[in-house]
Amino acid sequence: MTILEFHEALKNKKTSVRETVTSYLDKIKEKNGELNAYLEVFEEDALGQAKEIDERIAGGETPGELWGVPLAIKDNILIRGKIASAASKILENYVASYDAYVIEKLKKAGAIFLGRTNMDEFAMGSSTENSAYGPTKNPRDISKVPGGSSGGSAAAVAGGLAMAALGSDTGGSIRQPAAFCGVVGLKPTYGAVSRRGLIAMASSLDQIGLIAQTVEDAEILFNAIRGKDEMDSTSVETGGSTAIWRLNRQMKRIGIPKEFFGEGLDLEIKNSIDAVIKKLSQKYEIREISLSHTKYALECYYIIVPAEVSSNMARFDGIRYGRRSEGEDLISTYKKSRGEGFGLEVRRRVLLGTYVLSAGYYDAYYSRAQKVINLIREDFKKAFSEVDIILGPTTPTSPFRLGEKFDPLSMYLSDIYTIPVNLAGIPALTLPSGIQLMASHFEEKKLFELGKEIELWN
Amino acid sequence: MGYNNHIISEEEIEHLKDLARVEFGEKETEKLAKDFGDILGYVGELKKVDVSGVLEMTHALEGVKNVFRKDEEAKEGGGLASDLINAFPEKENNYLKVKAIL
Repeated sequence: MTILEFHEALKNKKTSVRETVTSYLDKIKEKNGELNAYLEVFEEDALGQAKEIDERIAGGETPGELWGVPLAIKDNILIRGKIASAASKILENYVASYDAYVIEKLKKAGAIFLGRTNMDEFAMGSSTENSAYGPTKNPRDISKVPGGSSGGSAAAVAGGLAMAALGSDTGGSIRQPAAFCGVVGLKPTYGAVSRRGLIAMASSLDQIGLIAQTVEDAEILFNAIRGKDEMDSTSVETGGSTAIWRLNRQMKRIGIPKEFFGEGLDLEIKNSIDAVIKKLSQKYEIREISLSHTKYALECYYIIVPAEVSSNMARFDGIRYGRRSEGEDLISTYKKSRGEGFGLEVRRRVLLGTYVLSAGYYDAYYSRAQKVINLIREDFKKAFSEVDIILGPTTPTSPFRLGEKFDPLSMYLSDIYTIPVNLAGIPALTLPSGIQLMASHFEEKKLFELGKEIELWN
Repeated sequence: MGYNNHIISEEEIEHLKDLARVEFGEKETEKLAKDFGDILGYVGELKKVDVSGVLEMTHALEGVKNVFRKDEEAKEGGGLASDLINAFPEKENNYLKVKAIL
């Protein structure tokens, strides 16, 4: 059932929140052992909230759009009083002392949290195999990965274990698993959704977003979580009256970036996208465009991200919270706590970031990468002066098998089409077919409109 | 992958481990040198880009300014302080306990 269908049913008293929440909890009991989508289920809280909302409806109140909607929350988004581990051992017992901004908004809107979902540790990975709590499986084929890092959230929605879910996207962590699991994923414009209460990985790129069954649901949820937060100075006022949220002109042109259709793209994916483009060409002008510097996006990403990771991870030292492993002195306590608390990929990125930021290497790596990012941004700016939307694949391949990719570089390559979007700070929407739609800053509305149109064909 | 042209020495890796305050096992360290070579060789492709006259990207978002709160006592209620104290890995009364620093 979608959010919209559930809301209609609830309004017309065709279902109760308790009935719906119970059916999701039953499904979780039945399937989570196999999928490992959830790390923890909040059964008692969910049922308690369901009862409360049902009583309010029985008392004559009209339910809001998100009343009783059962959601799954990625384990790097804080819910006060609940463990938030980022799927890491170093935070295995860390209890959040405040609500993330998005959680605060969703609580007020009456949504229900079913539990916290599995992910790659601290969102570093593309398969959810980097979790300290075992991998998540793809509900469409359990021999395959669900993608990552928001693999638990995507698997929960695809497997019918949640109506929708929150995730985070730094280089494709919402869109790649959405494509792998066949659901809708939205990475909003950088700044459209507050990052307060999101455990930081690479702060200049991190963005909270969502996974849903339909584009319409994605739009509903996005409108519920966006907005300016006083506690996140990089969040932007995007109130309903702001013109950017309205379509001020008809969409006419769709850009197809040739760099997204080159070597390395799976033929089956290419053919399915070509078929959609052909259909779109009946209504829109299709224009081939070039984003020539995006071929360097992955290189930029693997300099900037480790650099930011090395500083963001410095706070996890086993001193004030989290897991502490005692050493002989303070320094060895730090090293042991981090050595035992962090998985290999996290430590690898911390070390790489320390290296690229070292005196003598800064200009060659970090500074150069920041310049190339500016060139990538210019490419997109120029493209959006010509076209309304850019369309391409989300991933170069279909989901790979668990354990198939063990060297870091081949894993990194699965994000080759999603990373440019984060570097440019623009929004992108992944459809269940794996198509990725990209628009200019704060033009999510365009993504929803075209997304709904394509969705109707299936 | 054929990017393995960037050699990083064992001493350099040991030094980085100290700087970054992390430990790696012996086997992990062996693989680390190879992975580092691969990754640095790969990102080294950026040397091919002409960046003359290009400025560094310094803001994730254009037009936002730093915001500072007033320098006054925070009025956090609702048991935040006790939540934070409860999160200490080791404590004595309400004090955080750590190894001697000097």
